[in-house]
Amino acid sequence: MNSFVLIKQVPDQSAKAGVNADGTIDRAKAKRMLNPFDCFALEAALQTKRLYGATVTAITMGPPPAIEILYEAIAHGVDQAVHLCDRRLAASDTLATAYALYNTVRYAGDFDLVFCGLQTTDGDTAQVGPQLAERLQVPQVTYCESFEIQGEKLIARRVTESGTQVVQCPLPAVVTVANSAHRLAYRTLRGVQRVHQLQRDEVERNQVIQTVSLDDIQADPARCGLKGSPTIVAATEKVGEIGGKCVLFQGKPIEAMVSDLLADISLVELVQR
Amino acid sequence: MKQVLIFAEQTAGELRPVALELLGAGRQLADKLGASLSCVVMGTAIAHLPAALIAAGADLVYLADNPALETYRTLPYRRVFIDLIASMEEPPHIILLGSTTTGRDLAPRIAAYLETGLTADCTELDIGPYEHTSAQDPSKVGLYKNCLYAIRPSFGESLKARILGPWKNPQMATVRPGVMVALPRDATRQGTVQEIPVNLSTEDLGLVVLETLRAVSESVELAKADVIVSGGYGLGSTEGFVLMHELASCFENSAVGSSRKAVDSGWIAHAHQVGQTGKTVRPKLYIACGISGAIQHRVGMDKSATIIAINRDAYAPIFKFAHFGIVGDLYQIIPEMIQQLKQGSVPSNFSKTGETNVLTHTL
Repeated sequence: MNSFVLIKQVPDQSAKAGVNADGTIDRAKAKRMLNPFDCFALEAALQTKRLYGATVTAITMGPPPAIEILYEAIAHGVDQAVHLCDRRLAASDTLATAYALYNTVRYAGDFDLVFCGLQTTDGDTAQVGPQLAERLQVPQVTYCESFEIQGEKLIARRVTESGTQVVQCPLPAVVTVANSAHRLAYRTLRGVQRVHQLQRDEVERNQVIQTVSLDDIQADPARCGLKGSPTIVAATEKVGEIGGKCVLFQGKPIEAMVSDLLADISLVELVQR
Repeated sequence: MKQVLIFAEQTAGELRPVALELLGAGRQLADKLGASLSCVVMGTAIAHLPAALIAAGADLVYLADNPALETYRTLPYRRVFIDLIASMEEPPHIILLGSTTTGRDLAPRIAAYLETGLTADCTELDIGPYEHTSAQDPSKVGLYKNCLYAIRPSFGESLKARILGPWKNPQMATVRPGVMVALPRDATRQGTVQEIPVNLSTEDLGLVVLETLRAVSESVELAKADVIVSGGYGLGSTEGFVLMHELASCFENSAVGSSRKAVDSGWIAHAHQVGQTGKTVRPKLYIACGISGAIQHRVGMDKSATIIAINRDAYAPIFKFAHFGIVGDLYQIIPEMIQQLKQGSVPSNFSKTGETNVLTHTL
């Protein structure tokens, strides 16, 4: 059995570094991290390894530093990785990203399941998983909370606004994993040792982590990056302050601040704002 | 004629509110474009829905009524949708779906099939011109009229991004539920109903729904609550939510919410999440505790009538849009607040124990 997990390196939004004055992110300066949603996808892929003996391949698309999250995935128990790294991918929107990842998945070989995080924290679209499934011409299970494999079928529990749903889905399939799924387990000792080894030994590293270009995966550069993206961000604007200036209480004893606040709200028209 | 096409989501023969909201938004876009507003509705035993959709603003309803469409499944709905578009003389100018779990599941499949642009989770839509001048991709340069402006909260703490894709139709977007406004129902409106074919392959029917379980009532409470006490990453641990519940219990009709970070940290169930990937709420009072106020959270709650923020960081973005704020340790402030609320120094409409207050009349 082969499981793929698609992961992405994103800027760490909790860190102040790399945030420009206008609120945009300077990706070169920002701290980097594994997309938090992808932790759930990684755990799901590793479950197929623990329970069904799957070989797990992590796939990412990103600039050279993205290898950091592939090391992290290997430390958690992923067997091998593919890093799609090519300048021509810059400014890809979701359609172009899904096209590039589709070619990477095909390059990586046969699969039974492709796991994706629900969405990324930098794009917040949740579109790439289903767009990839469309390209691969396979069924998808989105918002998957838990699953098991019975024979050739995936039995999965999905979370939706109106409740949960249990579906039976033929393989191969794409699964996007909800953030209510199992949390990512600790790194394994063996995985951490393996990463140390890979960082020292370039030959072995190149065997375990394949770094590929658009040419290697036979993707059409015209369908990637800015050229292959049907959408652009035409403008960004700061969100204005609302509700007037905040009445701020600070630097006084707690008891006084709380009573001032409670006295003050009683004077505000609460509904007519 | 140009078309704006809306996906009208229904479950068990009942339209989701977002379907009517999309018709309200779609009507404005269609009128601005001089286009017709059509919608597609799928399900089984739904012959009663087209009248409601026309009364809500649709000029034309495409109806796919088939037992295989009873419960939403990606591939059957995808098939009917793309067959419908293929049957049109020209593709719709715009296609809108709700950013529900269903809309977010279906829209990317259709956009990828059509190789067209899709903007997720929009909070504003408009039509306008756009001139592309960047020489990075010469094939895109030019002046485009009648572009869909798809506006959504963006990465960063307080940005909105306007996303455009005028180079190919349909221009697609998903729209957050609870943001757009439905038109008043008008039973005298005229419209056309057109049944569309349902031709499903074996592959389309591969996925089977085995069981559907209704959600716990908690999520409903959040949408209907007058007072929401919300906890964020600043709580530091799951125990913080005990305090959130205690503060919430000081109010009538209250509920506990959370930011995504608190959910991601495993401190509270996703059903409590407010924001971009959670629920949109507009209670009379929203108390944000240890929540920084990133745009993703803000879009889910900034329509609340009164927002109180409690945060250790005086520069947290939440203080830029909260009405009231206390800077300090929430573990000291909230117990004090609970104590004072229980002593009855607050508006009676908010507090179970309060006695009298000026506010009573304004509520």
